[in-house]
Amino acid sequence: MSEGYYVSGVKTEGLDLFFNAKSVAIYGASVTPNSVGQAIVQNFIKPMYEGKVYAVNPKYRQVLGVPCYPSMQEIPGEVDMVVVAVPARIAPRVMQDVAEKGTKAVIVVSGGFSETGPKGAELEDEIVEIAKKHGMRIIGPNCVGVIDTHSHVDTFFLPEYRCNRPKPSNVANISLVSQSGAFAAAIADWTSELGLGISKIISLGNKCDVDDDDLLHYLAHDDTTQVICYYTEGYDPGGGRSFFETAKKVTSKKPVIVVKSGRGERARAAASSHTGSLAGSDKVADAAYKQAGIIRADNFEHMFDMAKALSMQPPARGDRVLIVTNGGGLGVMTTDALEAVGLAVPPPPPELEERLRESLPGYCAIHNPIDVVGDANASRYDIALKEALQGDYYDIVVAGVLLQTPSLGMDVTNVVANHQRQSKKPFIVVSMGGSFTTKAGEIMQLMGIPTYATGEKASVAAWALARYGEIKFGREFKRTAGRTNHK
Amino acid sequence: MKEVKKIFENARAEGRVFVLENEAKDIMRSYDIPIPPYATASTADEAVEKAKQIGLPVVLKILSKDILHKSDAGGVKINLKTEDDVRKAFEEIMQNAKKYGEEKGIDVDLSRGVFISDFADMGTEVIIGVTKDPQFGHALMFGLGGIFVEILKDVTFRLIPLTENDAREMIREIKAAKILDGIRGEKPRDTDALVDIIMKVSKMVNENPEIIELDCNPTFVYEQGKGALVVDARIIISE
Repeated sequence: MSEGYYVSGVKTEGLDLFFNAKSVAIYGASVTPNSVGQAIVQNFIKPMYEGKVYAVNPKYRQVLGVPCYPSMQEIPGEVDMVVVAVPARIAPRVMQDVAEKGTKAVIVVSGGFSETGPKGAELEDEIVEIAKKHGMRIIGPNCVGVIDTHSHVDTFFLPEYRCNRPKPSNVANISLVSQSGAFAAAIADWTSELGLGISKIISLGNKCDVDDDDLLHYLAHDDTTQVICYYTEGYDPGGGRSFFETAKKVTSKKPVIVVKSGRGERARAAASSHTGSLAGSDKVADAAYKQAGIIRADNFEHMFDMAKALSMQPPARGDRVLIVTNGGGLGVMTTDALEAVGLAVPPPPPELEERLRESLPGYCAIHNPIDVVGDANASRYDIALKEALQGDYYDIVVAGVLLQTPSLGMDVTNVVANHQRQSKKPFIVVSMGGSFTTKAGEIMQLMGIPTYATGEKASVAAWALARYGEIKFGREFKRTAGRTNHK
Repeated sequence: MKEVKKIFENARAEGRVFVLENEAKDIMRSYDIPIPPYATASTADEAVEKAKQIGLPVVLKILSKDILHKSDAGGVKINLKTEDDVRKAFEEIMQNAKKYGEEKGIDVDLSRGVFISDFADMGTEVIIGVTKDPQFGHALMFGLGGIFVEILKDVTFRLIPLTENDAREMIREIKAAKILDGIRGEKPRDTDALVDIIMKVSKMVNENPEIIELDCNPTFVYEQGKGALVVDARIIISE
C-alpha cells in the first residue's frame, strides 16, 4: 500500500454504493460450478436482491441466465458496483476497464496481492493508482466483500447451504467489520443461528483503500447500525492512531466493540528502553481502546453477548445491579459472576426492604437477589420489580427466569418488557434451559430484552452496559463497586 | 522549544540518538518538570565548587557521548557527603570511564566531565515513561518502581496527548494503587504532583515527537503537599 494514504484521514465518500448498489457487475463470472465467479452471481440472482445484475467474462454469453459481456464497455446501463474475481495479474487491466465505464465502487475478492510479497504489492499499488485517478473506492483485495441484510447486496462467495446468511431484526442491528474474510463468513453463518440482528458485514482484506476508520465513520452515521463491531489483527503504521482519533468522535454516540488478536511480541523485543520493553503493541492498543471509549472484548462470544445487550438496551447510569429470580442457585451464580466483572449487587435499603416484605410472601428472599421462589407466577415478578424500581436504588436489572416451573406463565415476558419500558433502565434476562426456554428467549428478544442462557453470559452483557454508560455519561456515571475489572 | 530542538540537533550531529543527562534535565526544566538541582563540571575542582552550590550530599555521573549505560561503566557515585568524597568520586569516575573505553576498544570522550545532582531524599518510587508504538504512535506509561514494574509489570498506558482525567485514571488503575494512599501508617502520596508531571511529559512529547523513548526512572513521589521529583531521565530520539 502506498505510504501516507492514511494521512489524508477518513474518506467516506462513495462508500454508500457498496451497500446500496442498484446495479452490480461480476467481473470474472463463471459457469463452473463451485467457483467463486459463479457463487457471487448466484447471490445476486436471488429474488431478494432487486437491482440489476451483469456478468463480465469474454468466454461466455451468459452465466446462470445473467447476460455476460466481454468487457464493462458493452454493458448497456450504468453499473454502481463491480465485484472483481479475476487473477491478480490481470487485475490492473480489469480496473482500467471498470474505470472507463465510470463505476466508482469496486470489491476485489481475489488474492495474490500484497499478502503474497513484493510482486503482489506492486499489482495492488497499480489498482490503487487507477482508483485514485478516477475517484473510485476499493474494498479488498483478498476479502469476501460485503453483506447488507437490507439491500441484499451479498458478495460472500460461500454457498448458502454451507454458510447461512444473517438477517436484520426489527429491534436492533449490529454491523461487523472484519480484517479476516474467513471470520467474516464464519460470523455471518454463526450470527444467523444466534438470532442476532445484523445490518452489514464487511470483510476488509488487505485494506488497500477502504479501511477501519473509513467504515467506522460510515457506520457511525448509518441508521440501520446500532452497534459497530470489529475484528482486527492490527493496523498499518499510524493506522491505529487514526482509528483511535475517529473512534473518539464515534463512541459517545454509538457503542464500538473490538476483538483484536496479535500480541506484537516482535515490536516489544526490538524496543531498547524500559518503557518500550514493557509496552508491546497490545498493551498500547488496550490503552488506546480504553481512552477512545472502545469496548474491547476478549473473544467473539463476549463480543456478541455484549453487542446484543448494547443494541437493544440503553446504557446504564451506574453499576448497581438488581437480580430478581425464581431460582436461588441461579441468583447466587449470577451474583458471583456480576461481582467478578466488577459490578455491585447491593442489598435493598431499609425502606425498600420493608415494602418488599409487605408485598411479597413471607418465604421469598428479599435481599438482592430477590428470590420470588419456585412457585412464583408473573405477577410476583411484577410486584418485586414495581417496588424495587420505585426510587433510584438500581441501575441495571437482571431477571432470572427459570421456565421449567409450571406456575410461571409466558406473561412474565410482558411483565419484564413493561418494567423495562417504564423504568428506561437496561434489563437483561437469564433463562437456562432447553427448547421451551429457547423459544421463550426468542420472544423475549423480539420484545427488545436481550436474553442469555447463563448468568456468566448475562454478566458480560451487564458489564458492557455499565462500561458503555461510563463512556457515555463520564463523571455522571455512578460507581459504587471498587473498580471496573475486565470481564 | 527552540532550546529543545537545538539539543536534538546537537545529539544527532554527534551521532547520538540519546541525549546527555544534563540535556535531558534542561529539556525537562524547560517544561517545568520538577527535578533536583543539577550542574556539570569538567574538573575535580569545579565539581567540588558546584557540589557546594547545590548542597551536599550529591550524586556524580559520567557525562559522555560514548557512554549510555553509566553504571556499567562505573560512572555513577551516589550519596557523596563531603568535598573530599566529591573529589575522589570525580577521579574514580574518570578512571573507570577510561578503563571502560579501553576494554570496549573505544576512545571515550571525557571532555564533558560529570553531571552533578542533588542526592534526592528517597520517596515512593514510580516510573513515568514514553514509547512510540508503530501502530498507535506515542504512548505514556505509568507504574510504581522497583519490583512492581520489574517483576509484576504493573503498569498502565495512555496515548499522548492525555487529558488530566486520563492521568488520574492511570494513577488509580494500577494494581498497587493503594500504596499511593499511604500504607503502614504513612501519609498519602502527592498524587496531584504526579498528575502534574504526567501532563507535562505528555505536552513535552506532543510538542517534540522526535522523542521516541523516555524513562523518568526513578521518579520520587513524596507525601501529600511535598511534591515529586524526576530523579533520572533518559531520552532517546529518532535518527
